[in-house]
Amino acid sequence: MAMTTEGPRRAAREGGAQGRLQTEEMILNVGPQHPATHGVFRLLATIDGEILINAEPVIGYMHRGYEKLVEQRDYRQITNLVSRMDWLSGINNELPLALAVEQLMEIEVPPRAQYLRVILCEMNRILNHLMFFASFGAELGAITPTFYAFREREDIQRVMEATTGGRMHFGFFRPGGLKEDVPRGFVDDALQGVRQVIERLPDYEDLLVGNEIFKQRTIDVGVLDKEAAYSYGVTGPIARGSGADMDVRRDEPYLVYDQFDFDVCSAPNGDCFDRFWVLVREVGESARIVEQAIEGLPPGPIMGKVPRVVQAPAGEVYVRTENPLGELGMYLVSDGDRRPYRLKIRTPSYNNVSALSHVLANTYVSDMIAILGSFFFVLGDIDR
Amino acid sequence: MGRPGAVVPEEALDRVEEALGPWVEKHELNFGAVDLVCKPENLVRVMRTLHDSERLGCAFFTFLSGVDRSELGAGGGGLEVLIHVYSPEHAIHVTVHVPVDPAAPECPSISGIYKGALWHERETHEMFGILFPDHPNLTTLYLPEDFEGHPMLRSFKLPTRVIKEWPGAKDPEEAAAGGR
Repeated sequence: MAMTTEGPRRAAREGGAQGRLQTEEMILNVGPQHPATHGVFRLLATIDGEILINAEPVIGYMHRGYEKLVEQRDYRQITNLVSRMDWLSGINNELPLALAVEQLMEIEVPPRAQYLRVILCEMNRILNHLMFFASFGAELGAITPTFYAFREREDIQRVMEATTGGRMHFGFFRPGGLKEDVPRGFVDDALQGVRQVIERLPDYEDLLVGNEIFKQRTIDVGVLDKEAAYSYGVTGPIARGSGADMDVRRDEPYLVYDQFDFDVCSAPNGDCFDRFWVLVREVGESARIVEQAIEGLPPGPIMGKVPRVVQAPAGEVYVRTENPLGELGMYLVSDGDRRPYRLKIRTPSYNNVSALSHVLANTYVSDMIAILGSFFFVLGDIDR
Repeated sequence: MGRPGAVVPEEALDRVEEALGPWVEKHELNFGAVDLVCKPENLVRVMRTLHDSERLGCAFFTFLSGVDRSELGAGGGGLEVLIHVYSPEHAIHVTVHVPVDPAAPECPSISGIYKGALWHERETHEMFGILFPDHPNLTTLYLPEDFEGHPMLRSFKLPTRVIKEWPGAKDPEEAAAGGR
């Protein structure tokens, strides 16, 4: 943090003599490098004493121009680009691209591939959510959750690594199916990993959600109401923490999500506490989905009938999926080439963070990091 | 499963036609979403109706962006603003296409109706050069202030692809012949 001291100095010179405390607005610059952000993020905060009058997020430090780059690459190459948008949920990013191409090309994906996609996506969601569970605790001064969360993450991370060969950027989904089948021992290891999460989750929940200091730092702090959430296009755990009962997996089931029994967690108050509560609850739901999907995992091929050159026929389609942080949508315009003519990528963090200045206005400076942390964003996802 | 209170796409199309008939140039279904084409001068009225009408209830803002269709071949069209909104209550998807004049692209801002459009319009402004005259703060979002050009236009070429055409040489002989 860097701050200008001109404001308080002048206040001290001019107001101090009369013996009463005068405040005036000053600009506090948070970032671009700040440990509370997952990436490079800057916040221009106008503060008056302890109150944040206005906070303007400044983004673009990690802009890589994916929407332009994808126009010069074929669909199989793009998989590896979009995997790098939200680096905490790589495999989820690859999904809408595959689905969009499959819709235009009318490819039928075999059931085994669909089940495996669900399993991998949900395990990735657990990884993502545990990361934010860890970091949100750390941002509020509790370092212990980090160690627990990373212990659990490691077991699932190993399964993902054994399957895809990567720990963050998986590059595993193809239009039509998967790169390859899962290795031997996948079912046992995955089950063991998620069962461990289910078993230990109540303890983790108590660790923070039941903690008195945690409650005081988060309850009624940074309230986002439902109407504002809709108007800004906020999705994911943040929208559900504001009482918006929406989840693409249930509302418009893609893959085979309609075959599983899971709850859409939501909470009505829209404060930091509710957002975090939803996030933690979703870990358990994801683990349940993985269990059910492994139970029903059918044998069979993992690739549909895909021509050697993937060329989506001319047309336009909007595909949306439930990324761990919200709705990830891709609007694909194809002119029949191997490359997309235009691919608009609608990322969840982008819309979520655009609501930050609305939420941060007229809050206390001391709550700023709690609010920032509870918005669960990844800068790579915003800047693309 | 599916969303409680969801209407089928055909019903959604009927409702949109009933509410917006005279204000849109074209309406049809595309992969379950209602596709609208609308003139810039009617955009605010159309978006206001989509947002406020109880039978549509498109309160959720998904995205706003642009598409440069100038190289899309016959009937492709020119520059357009692309908006997607969604109704959480009725599960209606609406995609609005707003063709703008490529010579002086201008489109009214919808940030007064959907606050989420504030950033999306700034991005579309710098990437496509489309002006949103009544936007409260139309500054750059991603690009440096002194950046020249609008990168998402088709006429803006990637320097690497000017030097070396995509997808490049398929085998070494071809590469040698091409001097690469």
